[in-house]
Formats: sequence, C-alpha cells, structure tokens
Amino acid sequence: MIRDQVAVIGVGCTKFGDRYERSFEELICDAAFDAYADAGIEPAEIEAAYLGTYLPGPGGGKAAVSLADALRLYDRPITRVENYCATGTDAFRNGCLAVAAGAHDVVLVLGAEKLKDRGGRGIPRLGHPLLARGNTAPGLFALAANRYMHTFGLGRETLAKVAVKNHKNGALNDKAHLRMEVTEEQVLKAPMIAWPFGLLDCCPTTDGAAAAIICRADLARRFKKPPVLVKSAALAVTTGRPFFDPTFDYLGFRSTQAAARQAYAMAGITAEDVDFAEVHDCFTWTEISNIEDLGFCKKGEGGRLVEEGRTALDGDIPVNPSGGLKSFGHPIGASGVRMIYECVTQLRGEAGARQVKDPELGLAHNVGGPGAVSCVVVLGRS
Amino acid sequence: MVGITRTGTYFPRRRLDRALIAKAWGGRVPAGTRTVAGFDEDALTMATDAVLACLGDVDAAAFDALYFASTSSPYLEKQVASVIATAADLRRDVAVADFAGSVRAGLAALRAALDGVRAGSLGSALVAAADARLAEPDSELEPLLGDGAAAVAVGGEGVVAELVSTASVAEEFTYVWRTDEQRTLHLSETRFGTAYGYARDVAEAIGAALRRAELPPARVARLVLGAPEPRAAAEAAKRAGFDPARVEASLLAEAGLLGTPEPLALLARSLETAAPGDFLVVAAYGEGADALVLRATDRLPAARPRPLAERLARGLALPSYERYLRARGVLPAEPMGEPVTAMLEWKELKQDVRLYGSRCQACGLVQFPQARVCLGCQARDRMQDHKLARRGTVFTFTIDNLAPVPEHPMPMAVIDLEGGGRLYLQVTDAAEGEVKVGAPVELTFRRLHEAAGNRNYFWKARPA
Repeated sequence: MIRDQVAVIGVGCTKFGDRYERSFEELICDAAFDAYADAGIEPAEIEAAYLGTYLPGPGGGKAAVSLADALRLYDRPITRVENYCATGTDAFRNGCLAVAAGAHDVVLVLGAEKLKDRGGRGIPRLGHPLLARGNTAPGLFALAANRYMHTFGLGRETLAKVAVKNHKNGALNDKAHLRMEVTEEQVLKAPMIAWPFGLLDCCPTTDGAAAAIICRADLARRFKKPPVLVKSAALAVTTGRPFFDPTFDYLGFRSTQAAARQAYAMAGITAEDVDFAEVHDCFTWTEISNIEDLGFCKKGEGGRLVEEGRTALDGDIPVNPSGGLKSFGHPIGASGVRMIYECVTQLRGEAGARQVKDPELGLAHNVGGPGAVSCVVVLGRS
Repeated sequence: MVGITRTGTYFPRRRLDRALIAKAWGGRVPAGTRTVAGFDEDALTMATDAVLACLGDVDAAAFDALYFASTSSPYLEKQVASVIATAADLRRDVAVADFAGSVRAGLAALRAALDGVRAGSLGSALVAAADARLAEPDSELEPLLGDGAAAVAVGGEGVVAELVSTASVAEEFTYVWRTDEQRTLHLSETRFGTAYGYARDVAEAIGAALRRAELPPARVARLVLGAPEPRAAAEAAKRAGFDPARVEASLLAEAGLLGTPEPLALLARSLETAAPGDFLVVAAYGEGADALVLRATDRLPAARPRPLAERLARGLALPSYERYLRARGVLPAEPMGEPVTAMLEWKELKQDVRLYGSRCQACGLVQFPQARVCLGCQARDRMQDHKLARRGTVFTFTIDNLAPVPEHPMPMAVIDLEGGGRLYLQVTDAAEGEVKVGAPVELTFRRLHEAAGNRNYFWKARPA
C-alpha cells in the first residue's frame, strides 16, 4: 500500500525544448541537482534511483549506468524503467513501491529523454517489419480520434480548443518548450500531419529531464519543503496491438480506465475529489478522451468540458496547467516525472502565474502505446 | 477436353495522361493514358492480383501448378511463382516455373500448362503473366508501354475455350532487348523489326497452327496478338492472310503495350463476346513466335470473364510526369525500413503471406496476428488456423503525412474482415475521400518496402 506511506520532498526540472547544447547526461545532471537543492539534501543521501527513459540514443539511456555516470552515483541500486509513454510515471511508481516496501528511505526518480539529437521528424517507430508497418505516433492516435469523432460527431474545432488552452497555460511557464499562444484558426490551418491532427494538434518532440526525490512519509518533515504525499500510483497494461483487437471500440483507452480505477481505490477518493490533472495530451484528442477515461465526465462529453472552459486554469477541473505535453513538450521518459514536478509545484502553491487555486489533490496521467499502458499517480497536500 | 477454364486481369489504378509525357519532352504521343504500376507494385504483385481475380471464389487448393511469366520480374534469381502461389494460398505441392526472356513468355507458359494437362501430369494449372517494363525517359517507347497482368486457369473440366492446335517458330533476330545490366528496354528500328521479324514470325506460327487445325484464316473469328508497337499487329494479320478488322483491338488507348500479359489479357477480352464454336487464334512474338488455336465452348456464355473495361475503370490520374518517374523508381525514393529476416519470414509465412489468423475453439473469436492465448477468453492453445477473407470494411483510419513511404499522404486503416478478424494496413490506390469509416476495401499483395538489398511483400488494402 503506497497511500500516505511515501512523500515527495524535492522536485527538479530542466528547461524543456531543443536542447542541442545539453547532452543526455547533462540534462540528467541539471534535473537531479535541481531536485537535490529543492529537497535540501546531499547526493550521498540517495539510497536508490529509478531512471525512466524510452529511446536510448548514442548519448546514453540504454541501462541505468547513464544515470549513475551523469551523477557519479555509484555502488547503489539503480533501475532503468521503460514502458512506452508511461515510462516516467512508471519509474515514479516503482520508486514509491521501493520506499513503501521499506527497502529504501530516500529514492531519486528521474526521467530523461534526448529526442532532438536523433534527427528526422517525429519519433522512430519500432516493431514488426510488416505488421502495422507505416504507423506513426500521430497516425496511431488518429485512428482512435477518427472513430471517436465519427461516433460522437466531434469536429476539429473542438480538438483545436485543447491546443489553444494548453498553449495559453504553457506560455505562462518558463520551462515549457513552446511558449507561444495559438489561436483556434492557427491550429485548424496548420499543416496536416495525420488526419485529423494538424501540426498544432501534436505535441512537439522535445529534450528534457525531470526529477523527484521521495522518502518515507514519516521522515519527510526533516527536509526543507513541506512534503507532498503520494496517495496512489497505479499502472495498467492492455494490448499493444489495439488495431488488431476486433472487440476494441476505439472510443477511449481501457488501460487508463483501469489505472484510474486502481488509483482512486488506492487513494480512497473518486474522480470528483481531484482538483487538477496533468494528463497525457500527446495529441489534442487524447486529452479529450483521457478526461473521460479518468472519470472527470462521461464518455463522449470530454469535448463539451473543454468547450465550456471547465478544464481551463480557472475552470472547475483545470487540466494541464503546466501547458501539457502540447506546450511543455514531450521528452517521453521525462514527461511523467515532469508531471509529478508540476503536481508538486501546484500543491505547494509555487506555480506562480499558472497556479491553480488551493488544490488539495493533483493527478498525473500517462498513456502510451497508444492505449497499451497507462499510469495514474495521485498526489495530495496532506 | 483440355483448355482454358477461367481468366482474370489486373491493371494498376494509376494512369498517366500521355499529354504529360509530351509536355515534359515535347514531340508527338498517341492519345490516351497509360497504366502505371505504383511504387508498391511490380510484376510479382500484379500477377498475384491477376491470379486472385482469376480465382474468384474457386478453391485455390484445386490447382496443381502455377507458372509465372514476365520480362520485368523483380527477381532474376528467386522463384517468383512460389511467392505468388503462397500469397494465393495454393497447395505446397504445386509445380511452379518462371518463364522469361521475351514477351512471348506468357503464351509459352500457357502452352506449357495446356501441354501438362493434355499429358495428364497436371489436372489444372494457373498461368500468370505480368509486366511493368521501363522505357528510357524521352524515348519513343516511353508513352507506349503500359503495366498490367493477366492470369489464365487451364484444366480438363469447365473449359470455356478448348485447345485445338499449337505451333512455334524460333530464330535469332534483333528487335527488342534488355541486357542484364540495363534497366530500360531497347528497340532497334521499328519498321524493319516489325516487317522482317515480328510480322514474319507471327504469321509463320499462325499459319502452321492453322494448318494443324485444318482451318483457313477465314474460319477464325478473332485474332489475338501481342505487339511491340502500335502498327505491328495489323501488319502480321495481313501477312497471315487475315482481315485486320478481325484483330482484337489493342489496349494502347487506355493502358499501353503490356508486354508478356498482353496476349492473355486480350484473349480474356475476346472471351467476353466470343460465341460458342468460334475459333480464336492467339500469338506472341519473341525471336520467333508461338501461336495457339482455341475454340470457344458451349460453357462460355455462362462463364464469361469480368469485362476488361470494368477492370480498367476507376483510374487515378497521376498529377504530373514526375509522379510517374517516382512511381516507377526512376526518381529514387529514400530507402525505408528494416529487413524481414529469413527466419521471421519462415516463422510467420502462413500468417503474413498466406494470410491466416486464428480462431479460438473455445469462444469463436477470429484474431490476428496468430497467438496462443485467446484475446477474447484467454483460453490457451485452443486456436485453429483461420484463413482470413480479403474483403472488409474500414472501422477507422488516418491519412498520414509522416509515415516512412515514398508517397504522401498515406492512408492507413483498421479493417474488419468479412468472416472475422481485424487488420491494420496501409491503404494503397485510394482517391481522396475514399478512405472513411465504413468504406469497403479489399486486400492486395504489395511490395511494402525494401531493406538489406531485398524486397518485403505484404498485404495492403485498397478501395473496393
């Protein structure tokens, strides 16, 4: 049981963006030392670490050693976690499990990704050389978006409103990748990537790293900042080949629904108790479907939630106050930990211009695959 | 009775208006359009399409042989007939052969198949001929050639055109050639080549076949000729003592000179209208000639092939000459993909090429790819191989501009197949707006990508 057993005592995050001047290990270094300073601890106090990274490149990431070498953090357990776009939150979940199990008192969770040095557009598709060949990340989510839009009669205009909102939030965030506001018209007229997603319906490919230091909740008061408690951390995995599943309705993701159920049960809350959420808006439609899968509204009503402004910073359930993947950027393995960083920042009331009003409970959610894996983390102020 | 039982033809959907060739290079071109094999098509894939069209609902397991004929085979060494036989899900014990060397290879393959049935070594056989020949840009031949395929089934039962006689001629003559180092076709002087080579040899073979059948030319209803240039067929007909009006009209206006499949495709068209008892003569040239005399049977009216005009309908006009160059690989596209290793292909052949999914004996769910544990009920090892249908409807789709393919945008679709199973495939040959939820599609075997010096073939969907 994780609930209230684990606290986040420090968080760190690099500037997200085209970080050509920073190597993979340098990004790790920036995020980790940012978190050390936030917690007010010495590196030597870290007993174990979890590295979340999805696409190992020539600059590192293949094993836990790139974290060890970047931080010279040797002679202790470090585990690399890779689980599609849920990599970062799953690394965090694993760190929490280790602390809750009593194996370690102080653990570093760090997500890092260097996508821009790969060259080329988007992210490379890995997998079978024949089956599903030709798929791209936007194309895979577009399959779901098109079926959803066909079923619920949603138009691209509604999708565009997600981009407008998240860019507006991201423009307030000096660590975000794309800090410009966009208009609905700009989103609709952007070059088409994979119907129905134009360029501005897609999150960017981004470099970045984020870190969270967690510890046993009963030790948390020793550190500099008021701790944030981990209420739950849940993971659900379904098929990685949803497109071959003849029973799949393509209207949402089962993995998110299952992870959310687990997370709410573990935290002893319902969706209504969540004050704000960082959800996986890799594409505009994904956010609409996610907020339904997370239970913030019924299936098919996510578009209306967006249109009515209820997910805006001043709405009743602010979604992606950070700017989301859409504006903040999406260095895959880093994103989940970056969401933890945002939740902690908001719960501490340190989010400045993008501060959500008096939140008690924040939720972080990743979905990858698409739909294959989903991780939901709930954090609370007390 | 030994003869032809079924025919099928295939033409690529892409069409190039010859005016675009004239616009690129100047000069005069014949009116009309030529068919253009897409970047994902070649003689292997088009022959497969023709075989599947020829088979229709007939059981592929009934055939004892498959012969493939082409001068533009994607492989100089590899038994392409075996690939086609696998994709069409023929039995493993079929006899195969690849015929090549000249455009009469199609007719030579047909003759060999008929001989096999006549000799009793084959009960029934399939012959598939296809070509996507490349001409030098800005050459006389470039606007004339067209890409396509034809397939013919032969046997001793259900014959619609009975074999009456055959004859051959062979002698060296320099007219059309392509060496092992050349990508494009070469042609010597046309008037000389047609008069002193083509017309002479074709007329001689026709004459010999008719003598064996004891038929005067006047008794022949239709003369079906493959030809190397637009005027050649009429010249050969005259020389053989035929009224040129009895020559089955060429496909120049709508498709082009097809090469190997041409006599078979034109034969298929003549069977659309031939009356029972009509004699048909088919001939093809290649440093000599082959001629076959056939007689339409009483079964023909009830078993006519799908009209060739229908097969040619719904063309997609290429917007530019450059698109043709890209489609035919004259303008190279980037290499795109990871290889299918021999081991992976071997392991998954039935699934990926024969196109089988699994059907759970516990809950009945048809699923793809093949798996040991059921997606629906999690029963272990209760799976039965299930041959998937090649028709279905689009459940959802996208139109992708980012995919690693040479032509964008590229539609991909999740397809619910007739009889169960769901596939996720690239969609080829689609016009704008054709790929949408609920749209009917059919599967076609295509060249998916190249890697490690080899070609990877797989199924795609196309609008039905």
